Amino acid sequence: MKYVTSVNGHDFSIEIVDEHHLNLNGQMLEVDFVTIANQPVYSLIIGGKSYEAYVYPGEEDYQVLLKGSSYAVKVEDEREKRLRAAGGRAVSESSDFHLKSPMPGMVVALPVAEGELVTKGQVLVILESMKMQNELRSPRDGKLNRVRVKPGDRVEQRQTLLSVI
Amino acid sequence: MKKVLIANRGEIAVRIIRACRELGIETVSVYSEADRQALHVRYADEAYLLGAAPSRESYLRADKILEIARKSGAEAIHPGYGFLAERADFAQACLDEGLIFIGPRPSAIAAMGDKAIARRTVTKAGVKVVPGTEGEGSLSNEELLSVAQKIGFPLLIKATSGGGGKGMREVRNKMEMPGLIESARREAEASFGDGNVYLEKLVEGARHIEFQILADQHGNVIHLGERECSLQRRHQKLLEESPSSFIGDDRNFREKMGSVAVKAAQAVDYLNAGTIEFLVDKEKNFYFLEMNTRLQVEHPVTEMVTGIDIVKEQIRIARGRNLSYTQEDVHQNGAAIECRINAEDPYNSFLPSTGLVTHCILPTGPGIRVDTGVYPGFEITSFYDPLISKLVVWGETRGQAILRMRRALEEYRIVGVRTNIPFHQRMMDSHRFMGGQFDTRFVEERFSMDEPEDDKTTNPEIAAVLATLIYHRQYEESAQIVRKGERDATNWKWVGRWERMHR
Repeated sequence: MKYVTSVNGHDFSIEIVDEHHLNLNGQMLEVDFVTIANQPVYSLIIGGKSYEAYVYPGEEDYQVLLKGSSYAVKVEDEREKRLRAAGGRAVSESSDFHLKSPMPGMVVALPVAEGELVTKGQVLVILESMKMQNELRSPRDGKLNRVRVKPGDRVEQRQTLLSVI
Repeated sequence: MKKVLIANRGEIAVRIIRACRELGIETVSVYSEADRQALHVRYADEAYLLGAAPSRESYLRADKILEIARKSGAEAIHPGYGFLAERADFAQACLDEGLIFIGPRPSAIAAMGDKAIARRTVTKAGVKVVPGTEGEGSLSNEELLSVAQKIGFPLLIKATSGGGGKGMREVRNKMEMPGLIESARREAEASFGDGNVYLEKLVEGARHIEFQILADQHGNVIHLGERECSLQRRHQKLLEESPSSFIGDDRNFREKMGSVAVKAAQAVDYLNAGTIEFLVDKEKNFYFLEMNTRLQVEHPVTEMVTGIDIVKEQIRIARGRNLSYTQEDVHQNGAAIECRINAEDPYNSFLPSTGLVTHCILPTGPGIRVDTGVYPGFEITSFYDPLISKLVVWGETRGQAILRMRRALEEYRIVGVRTNIPFHQRMMDSHRFMGGQFDTRFVEERFSMDEPEDDKTTNPEIAAVLATLIYHRQYEESAQIVRKGERDATNWKWVGRWERMHR
């Protein structure tokens, strides 16, 4: 299977030949790849060199934490790449953004009222968790819609707090 | 003293249990419903439930803690840091119950706890304080605004009964001040039950250097040298070292600061372990900032370079004995660094991360110490602070310590929650950190998680290979589900299942 993998905007062509071989940008390499104790920690021995990394799947890409650096990695197989070339991009700025609580905590304040216009980076919710006040910000411009919480509410992780349309 | 109650949780409770164990003293832990499986409960000789998870219903319940002390026959209470550690009324209540409070006298906690009184007291003793309001108790918002004009901007709003950066706000101009006063009061009220705040001139380019003090009941007061604590984010310390590279070989300067620290402690008739915090500007002017009348989070770096067990000394002092050391006995040997490993994601504006720690490998080997209360299977909740552990290393020189810390951070594996380990790794690679060129604003203003250090080797191709292999594996697995009729287990397993079905 052939893949085109991009890391911070830089493309790598990777072909997985079999269990123990892959072709990286035209170079055949021997690989041994295992999960450590079924955790998102992976050990890779490639061409004799040993690496270990955390890999977290994101919505569209993987975050790889390797030797103190973080890489945003997007993997596409050839079929997907062709599909994308044919169909254009699907996700856009115009879709609604639903702010989900990144952690359990208590809503302290909602500086913006429902229906008001917000700009990218503006604080939407102040959430207290672990005795710290955390500011949750808008990822884009838009209008505040469907505020589902009020100050004093306890919220769970990933609970939808409000939307920006 | 045969039995000590530890009125705390997490790594510091474990730290205190360890000291007690080594001294042959029995330990009593207290815990909240969320901490039934915590290490401090598992390690203690006795453990008693306090109440529900929120601190207010558990670790802040002084009445229940005293009742447990009575019931268990504990003769002394060690408060650790945070929670009840700097509450004069709690220290007094312990004494009233006939218990030994392993810490300072209530009068010293009160004097240093109200920072307005603290500043007045040390000023009287001839110690310089940071320019600002002497903070006459509870000022109204209007009064604060008018005083602010006199001090000049930038300045800090600080919680009167605060600490650890909570209820603290930085003000650049008069316009933003009213809003910041409100949020500071709100946070102070939530954290300490006291919304009073005061103002302080912001010393720019300042370093935060503190001195560890030990004082016994016989009038002996010594200092154990300094800790460099300038690396902070939102006034929360992230990394501490001893000695400070700013003081370096200037022994006269160290002695001068140390003797002023001792003088400040004597001004409140201090007893037991405490810390005098100073702000130091580029010209080596230093100002008294505050005194922490308790054991500090970062005490291990001092222990590593002096070889003195501060918690054991605390117990020794509480037993009424003389200090084990005189000032002449105290020497700094080598260099120690402590990284606070917090459950927060440095790639996502340091948002706290909660969850079950599923996997954990601690760094070990020469010169390494890890103080922690977390183990695989333990859940990090949003009820308490995000400190997972303190990773402390010692090296013959500061350079050796940095290399060792790099090694230790790379070894450390924590899975289940996000941690700030990548932040510390990046710090260890930072030229400014290596050169000792930083101040208290460094992390917030000149440090980025995004831009790599110039000469740092990166491995984007390895990251690409890793992600691709994982993607490929998932693709293969999903393809297998589609392939009908194929067995997902060996034929032997199938025979076993078939036989059991027909029994």
